[in-house]
Amino acid sequence: MSNAYIDQFPAEAKVVKALFYSSFVALALGGVFGIIQTLHRTDIYRFIDSANYYSVLTAHGVFMVITFTIFFLVGVFTWAVTTSLDREVEDIRFTWAWVALMSIGTVMAAVPILAGLTDSIDMSAAVLFTFYAPLQGHPLFYLGLVLFVVGTWVAGADWFRSWWAWKKENPDARIPLPTFMVLTTMIMWYIATMGVATSILVFLLPWSLGWIETVNPLLTRTLFWFFGHPVVYFWLMPAYMMWYVMLPKFSGGKLFSDPLARVGFVLFLLLSTPVGIHHQYLDPGISEGFKFIAMTNTMFLLLPSLLTAFTVVASMEHGARQRGGTGYFGWLKALPWRDPVFAGMALAGLLFAAAGFSGMVNAGMNINYLVHNSLWVVGHFHLTVGTAVALTFMAVSYWFIPQVTGKELWNRSVALVQVVLWFIGMTFMTNSMHRAGLIGMPRRTAEPQYEGFEFETAVGSVGELDAQIALGGVLLTLSLVLFFANIIGTAFGSRSDTLPDNGYAEALSGSDDAPRVLDNLKLWTAIAIVLVIFAYSLPLLSIVDRGGLFGPDIPPLPVSLESVTFLAFAVEHVATVALESAGNFAQTALSGVIN
Amino acid sequence: MNIHSYEKLWLIAALLLIVGFIATITYGSVGLGIAMIDDSEDTVNPGSLDEDFGEPRVEHVGENEYEAYVIAQTFTYRPDPIEVPADSEVTFYVTSRDVIHSFSVVGTNVNTMVIPGEVSSMTVEFDDPGEYGIVCNEYCGDFHHTMEGQLHVVPEDEFDMTELSVEADDEVELGDEATFNVSVENGMLDDLETTASFEIGDETVEEEITVAGESTEETTFTVDSSDLGEGDHDWTITVDDYEESGTLTVVDELEEENDGGNNDE
Ligand code: HEM
Ligand SMILES: [Cu+2]
Ligand SMILES: [Cu+2]
Repeated sequence: MSNAYIDQFPAEAKVVKALFYSSFVALALGGVFGIIQTLHRTDIYRFIDSANYYSVLTAHGVFMVITFTIFFLVGVFTWAVTTSLDREVEDIRFTWAWVALMSIGTVMAAVPILAGLTDSIDMSAAVLFTFYAPLQGHPLFYLGLVLFVVGTWVAGADWFRSWWAWKKENPDARIPLPTFMVLTTMIMWYIATMGVATSILVFLLPWSLGWIETVNPLLTRTLFWFFGHPVVYFWLMPAYMMWYVMLPKFSGGKLFSDPLARVGFVLFLLLSTPVGIHHQYLDPGISEGFKFIAMTNTMFLLLPSLLTAFTVVASMEHGARQRGGTGYFGWLKALPWRDPVFAGMALAGLLFAAAGFSGMVNAGMNINYLVHNSLWVVGHFHLTVGTAVALTFMAVSYWFIPQVTGKELWNRSVALVQVVLWFIGMTFMTNSMHRAGLIGMPRRTAEPQYEGFEFETAVGSVGELDAQIALGGVLLTLSLVLFFANIIGTAFGSRSDTLPDNGYAEALSGSDDAPRVLDNLKLWTAIAIVLVIFAYSLPLLSIVDRGGLFGPDIPPLPVSLESVTFLAFAVEHVATVALESAGNFAQTALSGVIN
Repeated sequence: MNIHSYEKLWLIAALLLIVGFIATITYGSVGLGIAMIDDSEDTVNPGSLDEDFGEPRVEHVGENEYEAYVIAQTFTYRPDPIEVPADSEVTFYVTSRDVIHSFSVVGTNVNTMVIPGEVSSMTVEFDDPGEYGIVCNEYCGDFHHTMEGQLHVVPEDEFDMTELSVEADDEVELGDEATFNVSVENGMLDDLETTASFEIGDETVEEEITVAGESTEETTFTVDSSDLGEGDHDWTITVDDYEESGTLTVVDELEEENDGGNNDE
């Protein structure tokens, strides 16, 4: 009998498995759209109408960075909390409830996006995952996003419940590191999603339903980025967690320092949100001072990432030396490079270091003129979320999927080839994207071939850049095919008794070395909120003061219509019924109290 | 908490790096004067840009100083092309009539978001003549990829802001006089001294005109149709490099207006 996750927590393993599979479906769809748009914009093979490109791009963006990443990470978080607290979830029905909420939300958002690809259904949400007003998507899209986010909130509540229950039984114990990471990440997420929730619920949804006439485009855009930067850390922190608590284990050693891992996560909690304006360096209507504050915070946000780099490398070195590695750099050879889990995560980390470089360029507010909204940016985030996060998730799946299914991985060599292919594909694609960005080639463009001018390259040519982007895209698609072959192969395998035990890495310098104050979540939450208020209250007030809460008189530019009227009616109806019954309930309750 | 000494070194190095970055960027802003797009312009109402912002145009505002007022809307820029002289300092004011666009001059660091209700302003020096493409790099709808424009930096001695327009008779009765009202607009601050020349048949008339800075001068050419005779006569009016031309028809007797009801425009 093995002691895998499925043996310890059979009910939770089912949840985690469902979450992982949902995330993989999104990854598969996102991959299909990814290769379509790669071949289209490089003009290598075009079979869709260029006007439909933007529905494809919306689908790629939403499926990849909302559905794939978040479904996967809530699975990891569920595993982390149950494993590190060594207790089952408080109520498995509650857990399934948020899984359902997230799934319904996804489907609701996906319907109008995909409907945008056919003329037969009059619905569209080709507004990209940033949905900047006055471009207007179908209300179902906004409603779906809200439900999805609410689902993640309830998931967070689930984990906090577990922690509170555990704390009662273990009043003096330190929060186990993985749970600590989940909780700090979720607090960050609660703060961050206030921005997008306000943007959608107060402005975009009512506006798309026709209840309000106009919105202030700069305000909804700013609220989006209030959420849009921290969401990056919502993807990244689970990957960091894997690097902290799993990678040392796979390299055969221990985590270098538990206290510093905690410091890193606290810094992320504090600094992830008050930086969003760095996405708006080139927006009119926001003063240079506010941009400068966002930049300073952004630069300090480098600190926890640099700390992570140190700890991760130090832990790997420790592991390698345990395995007999010696020398200044010679220890690198002693690492388990043939293990796809280790190799994938290490390669992801390597490309993340490159991403750190292009990120520093992005962060410099006046250097930003050179690269803003160019293909450079797309190159940058395919290294961060597209590799540091996605490749880490895929690699660690080779460990997780056996844990939650109880089945041996179908083929380790295929897995190794898969992670290496991803690394090579991304190197081609992102390197050429960065270069194309520097010559001014824009992102989010179906046909970056213009009539009136040509892009001038210092070295190489536009054709060569396009060819490299497309080659990278093809290798990535192949890599995805191998990934799914392995997942499906594993799913159809039979139960194994020889799986490795569930668990995570111990620390060389353990939690006893960490100052108690690090576990004071209330304190960090309070400071995080104060920082957000500092960074955002004046900019938001000034934006509202300039453009009005509901903006100037600009008509929406709907990417679809018609069915909206019906939906508006339905939502209104439901809302009235809900309000009425709430009123009735209050009345009965009140009269009960009075009598 | 015990921190390994290497880790302390790393931490200090990381902090130095961060402070170094901030210092570099600050130097770029303060020392080199790279200003950020900001909130220095008043807001405008996208629904009434004519009053708040005026026509899309280039204005001459000082010696070698120009202002370009650009309107972005799905899926064009106006004016297009934008023309400015070399060796000048141009301040762009850009706004949008509908959704969010960008105004990005390819191969330069002129790059800004264009948000309806807000005006982005930025000042750029153009030393040498050249032609640049302008692209929209913010998704703005189905045909976003077709949104482009041109910026022409023309040699100083070829640059002017003269506009020629002519109002002329199409048809006159034999024996009547045909009139050609010419107006020459000078957008520059300096006076414009030039010659307007009028050609019809074998006849050429020239007239010296002086148009004061930022104003318009009008003049009229006339021709006696009996000299031309019945039939079609091509005419051309030229001022510097600008040319207007058309055809004057001299008929025996004018037809009643609107008789066929198909020439009412
Ligand atoms: C098969 C692998 C992939 C390929 C071939 C691919 C290709 C591309 C291309 C060419 C673009 C730029 C389109 C444009 O701006 O016109 C793009 C955008 C994007 N990709 Fe990928 N990608 C892949 C995987 C991923 C992954 C794994 C993620 C994240 C987890 C991701 C996230 C994004 C996002 C967020 C955008 C921007 C969407 C937008 O601008 O609205 N991609 N992708
Ligand atoms: Cu960001
Ligand atoms: Cu556009």
